[in-house]
Amino acid sequence: MSDLKITGLHKYYGSFHAVKGIDLEVPSGEFTVLVGPSGCGKSTLLRTIAGLEETSEGTVEIGNKDVTWARPRDRDIAMVFQNYALYPYMNVFENIAFGLRARKFADAEINKRVHNAADMLGIGPLLKRLPRELSGGQRQRVAIGRAIVRDARLFLFDEPLSNLDAQLRDDMRVEIKRLHQELGRTMIYVTHDQIEAMTLADRIVLLRDGRIEQLGSPLDLFERPANLFVASFLGSPKMNFVPATLDGNTAILSDGTKLTLAGKRNGKAKQAVILGIRPQHIALSGKRVAIGHAQVKVTVELVQPTGSRVQVAFPLGGKSVVAELESRDVSKPGGKISIDIDMARAIVIDPQTEKVI
Amino acid sequence: MAAATALRANPDRNFRYWLLTPAIFLLLLVGLFPLFYSLIVSFMRIDMMDTDTSFAGLYNYANLFSDKRLWAALGHTLLITVIALPIELLLGLAMAYLFLEKMPGRQIFISLLVLPTIISPIVAGATWRLLFDNRFGPINQVLGWFAGYPVTALWTLNPKLVYPAIIFCEIWQWTPFMFLILLAALSNVDKSQTEAASIDGAGFFRTFRRIVLPAIWPVMAIAILIRGLDLVRIFDIIWALTAGGPGTMTETISVYTYSQGFKQFETSYTAAIAFLVIVILTVVVVWAIRRMGLAK
Repeated sequence: MSDLKITGLHKYYGSFHAVKGIDLEVPSGEFTVLVGPSGCGKSTLLRTIAGLEETSEGTVEIGNKDVTWARPRDRDIAMVFQNYALYPYMNVFENIAFGLRARKFADAEINKRVHNAADMLGIGPLLKRLPRELSGGQRQRVAIGRAIVRDARLFLFDEPLSNLDAQLRDDMRVEIKRLHQELGRTMIYVTHDQIEAMTLADRIVLLRDGRIEQLGSPLDLFERPANLFVASFLGSPKMNFVPATLDGNTAILSDGTKLTLAGKRNGKAKQAVILGIRPQHIALSGKRVAIGHAQVKVTVELVQPTGSRVQVAFPLGGKSVVAELESRDVSKPGGKISIDIDMARAIVIDPQTEKVI
Repeated sequence: MAAATALRANPDRNFRYWLLTPAIFLLLLVGLFPLFYSLIVSFMRIDMMDTDTSFAGLYNYANLFSDKRLWAALGHTLLITVIALPIELLLGLAMAYLFLEKMPGRQIFISLLVLPTIISPIVAGATWRLLFDNRFGPINQVLGWFAGYPVTALWTLNPKLVYPAIIFCEIWQWTPFMFLILLAALSNVDKSQTEAASIDGAGFFRTFRRIVLPAIWPVMAIAILIRGLDLVRIFDIIWALTAGGPGTMTETISVYTYSQGFKQFETSYTAAIAFLVIVILTVVVVWAIRRMGLAK
């Protein structure tokens, strides 16, 4: 059963075409992340699901009920906003209880539910406070509390963590993931942060320019991107893109380096391509070269330790290529090292269509 | 050169007060002096017909209490205020809500709507006097089209019509003021809060009472206060429309004060009336500021 089904959805603002024909079905209980660069239409899409924006074309179904023209309150949804949107003149208890009061719940039930939600989020001692007396993280918890207390069918999150500092963001991310596991509810989460998308999602919907670029599990998108945009958007540090020419099963770089591709690729002979290699798929060479791996000697240009790992930049095929190595592997720039590229996981892109071949 | 160095090394702290002196002097001259002088006058026996200017003690103030025309004028003022103020507020609020959404021609509409407030009240009053004219006024003309026979309502003379006419003009002129201020206040309400409320299931009135009203209240309270004070002092529109008539039927406190001072030439008594008004307004304003929570 699907909790959300979107068919042929378009959204125009005047002459601006923000959402260009989205079809999406979200099964019950799934954590779906809408991700993409700013201006890709992800927030608009979420707001259209919520009913805060009118649909220009297409339909939105929630729980197998067509809600395209229903008011937000009749859609059985709860939403967490980027700026928390707490009601400033009510204390935390009343903020969380507001939706229940609007829906005429009995006082005893309201009391029970608010305390349950507050305990779940660890904000029990704050119930008497006003929003302005809370820290950013606490406010976000209250906003989430306000959403979960309603026990809606669909939870919508609009970049809920982007106003928090890095440390808190990590904590809250864990919290949201835990909540999803405990509640088992369908959640739609909008973010521009690919790490949030990778860590939280059961399924990622990657948007660009109002269209879905690719849709699938985080690992799917990471390992098997459909095109150049998806490949470059996901992963940190970013994937390396090196121009090359195909010769049978071999990619020849502009500096003459020959890398043998593993697995079958559908490229034409002598075709100019872009070779995509993730920094994580490069390692310092061991004694033996594994099957499907290629070995290259390079000169280290730049070293950026991140603690657990080290990011090493070196020229390869006319580009500066970054590899993520073990932190003891390289410590200083200037030296020559021998690297091992996992060619089975490298991708080949047609520069004309920007599609993976 | 030496002086400048000395100034920099040891700046004369009193210098800034010297700079303020002309402004303070002007303030005293045009503000406080007349106030105090009229207070003194109110305890004397000055009128413009007589040379007797002896001290009268509380004589003028004692007379206030037996002056039926004065209390009637206060009643008229109150009547206009309690009817016009809520209507202006509600109408202004409704218009502000209407223009909150972006729509084509919004800027032009707002500019046009604000025009009445820009016009000087005496000009507005005089214009309406002509519009309300019983024989040549377009209002009777238009009403006649609908009625099917010539309408000759005496808008500024008929006891049943003068208050509706005055209050209508007042509302026409000052609703845009409320509209403009409330529009500014409403556009400052955090939109995500009302959106969150709409998802939470709150209807228009719950959202307004619990979220919008608390947010716009400080601004709205000040608008009510300003308009309330203006209404208590209402003069121009009435002077132009009815001059307080028929008889003294629409004589407000300002109109009565004016006619005592400049028609009856009861200078000292007029000063006493003015002070009574000051005392009443001060009490009301202090109470209102406390009550509206503006002092916090």
